[in-house]
Amino acid sequence: MIREIVRKELLEIFREGRFRVALLTVAILVVTAIGVGRQYYRQVNEQHEAARRNARSEWVSQGSKNPHSAAHYGTYAFKPKYPMSLLDNGVDKYSGVSIYLEAHKRNDAQYMAAQDQTALSRFGDLSPDFILMFMVPLFIILIAFNSVSRERESGTLRVMMSQGISPWKLASGKWLAVFTPVAVLTGLVFLVGGVLLANLEDFGLFSWWPLILLALVYLLYYGVFINVSILVSASVRKSSLAFVLLLGIWILSCLGMPKATSVVADALYPYPTQLEFEEQIAEDKTNGLNGHDPWNAESKKLEAETLQKYGVDSVKKLPFNWDGYLMQKGEEHEAEIYFKHYQVLKEIYQKQSKVYRTSAALSPFLPARFLSMALCRTDYHAHWHFADEAEKYRLMLVGRLNGDMVDNSRTGQWDYRADEKLWRAVPDFAYEPVRYQSIVEANAGHFLVLLAWWVLSGVGMLVAVRQMKVF
Amino acid sequence: MLEAVNLSKSYNGVSALKGVSFKVNKGDIFCLLGANGAGKTTTINLFLNFISPTSGQALINQVDTAQQPLATKKMLAYIPENLMLYPNLTGVENLHYFSALAGRKYPSAELTNYLNEAGLQEVAHHQRVSTYSKGMRQKVGVAIALAKKADVLLLDEPTSGLDPKASNEFAALLKKLSELGVATLMATHDLFRAIETGTHIGIMKEGNLVESMTTDQINHQDLERLYLKHMN
Repeated sequence: MIREIVRKELLEIFREGRFRVALLTVAILVVTAIGVGRQYYRQVNEQHEAARRNARSEWVSQGSKNPHSAAHYGTYAFKPKYPMSLLDNGVDKYSGVSIYLEAHKRNDAQYMAAQDQTALSRFGDLSPDFILMFMVPLFIILIAFNSVSRERESGTLRVMMSQGISPWKLASGKWLAVFTPVAVLTGLVFLVGGVLLANLEDFGLFSWWPLILLALVYLLYYGVFINVSILVSASVRKSSLAFVLLLGIWILSCLGMPKATSVVADALYPYPTQLEFEEQIAEDKTNGLNGHDPWNAESKKLEAETLQKYGVDSVKKLPFNWDGYLMQKGEEHEAEIYFKHYQVLKEIYQKQSKVYRTSAALSPFLPARFLSMALCRTDYHAHWHFADEAEKYRLMLVGRLNGDMVDNSRTGQWDYRADEKLWRAVPDFAYEPVRYQSIVEANAGHFLVLLAWWVLSGVGMLVAVRQMKVF
Repeated sequence: MLEAVNLSKSYNGVSALKGVSFKVNKGDIFCLLGANGAGKTTTINLFLNFISPTSGQALINQVDTAQQPLATKKMLAYIPENLMLYPNLTGVENLHYFSALAGRKYPSAELTNYLNEAGLQEVAHHQRVSTYSKGMRQKVGVAIALAKKADVLLLDEPTSGLDPKASNEFAALLKKLSELGVATLMATHDLFRAIETGTHIGIMKEGNLVESMTTDQINHQDLERLYLKHMN
């Protein structure tokens, strides 16, 4: 019986122009967006590859110099662009693509895509995630707002209900009738996206199952909208009122709540400004060990300890290069300062995330948005993972260079030179992205919230259809 | 068989139906007469369980419609004053769908038979209902009722707005169904049809059943006089 309802609903929907126009529009938009996205992805990846090779070859061929000078000369870490960012760009546009790695200083990622664009780009991107997150729910509302109210208005609901159909079956049939075209559309988008991605030259990073998981997240998200649309359509007397109500719900959950939440999160747990952040770090640095200043109080303390440990009375008599040793100790100390301050940022981020997770109870958009970004590896978490790995690499790099100086030269021997052999011996930055397993574990909460939305709105829909007025 | 036992319905304290009792046996056609607002449609809606009674019972084959709404709906067929169908579907598709909802699936030849039996011209079977006249839609409604093989027929002014020929055909169909043992409850304003087609007549006024008789006890003129007496 449910199958018959679905069949009839689909027949009706397809014979009506409204649906065909809407479906065609969404399909054209998505295909265009994926096409444009793929082009952009390839372009970015080529640039990324070229820049990476370039940075390495500059590093290797920097000529012979003091290893610590080489640490100052530095190199770059480039954030890879992930295949699934094609579907959801997340915060990529605002998070920067490369980090300059040098001695004594932890730099932030720079060169964000948003910087390259004019202010006009604020008016919106035609990206698949925009269509999937915002447009498809609208499309659902457009086909479902009157799914019950139209039958009540026209009078077919009386005849239908007189046939002795259970409310449960009616609701399921109506639900599936909206879900089917939406699922077909979503399935097609992900299939096309998947095939395009699998055919990219460097598809090593691509695998199907996170893509399928992402499709499931979206289907769950759409299921919530279908539930709510039918709930409203069954409860409200007039289709026009149902439409206005549903548009209101859409605006609130997709536009209002996310914005309000970010305002609240920022107000409750504000990030320090760039200036404050840098000042705090600078303050800690001046009070601490400075590897470039042997007369600094902390340096003197370390010197005394070291001399005592080796039982000599002058740094010249140490069996290694004291200057290099001091610089490395300074580096390690500064690294701790950076770690401490970045840890503070992360804690703020965690607290803000909690606000977002709480407000997800008010909007299904938020958990879906976070899941989507996380699975596409374009959320802040993925960015931070990269920044942390780059920092680890930076410390390894500087440590290696200072270590070479410590071991292979004498205190005061500032004319010591290392050459390409050493530069080559330092491994290139090989970044391993966050593993999907840990992404899934970290985001299980969002998934549960979305699932709860689906279940509760589904129960609401069943109750509404059960108690609806026939006329 | 259809029975109203002391059936009452009030909305926010205002009584729409005040303890109505009657019985429609197998093969009977019970015609409810009365002004608009007398409670005819309320009575039918109670049998459909579209609304719940304030007190009393609406029974179909001895089963309370308020207790087992789904089971009792399986036994009845309903044709409202203006039977609405899905305009984008054809007559056959509409019949197929509503029959399927009632749990009956027919091959298309059988659907065609029902539509023919209901008097819908064959060319219209595969046209969309949006092109149908009211009479044609009513015929699909009859076909839906026929296909449901219901014991009870609930009709709410089914012939209002039909041309005399269509109205006549409809009456003939009712008689045929009555011969097959269907119990029919029909709300109508058409005194002439009520006498012609019905076996029993009831007159309702302000929520009460004020008169009840069999049609062989009365002729058209007397019925009209009686009706007008109550209305004034």
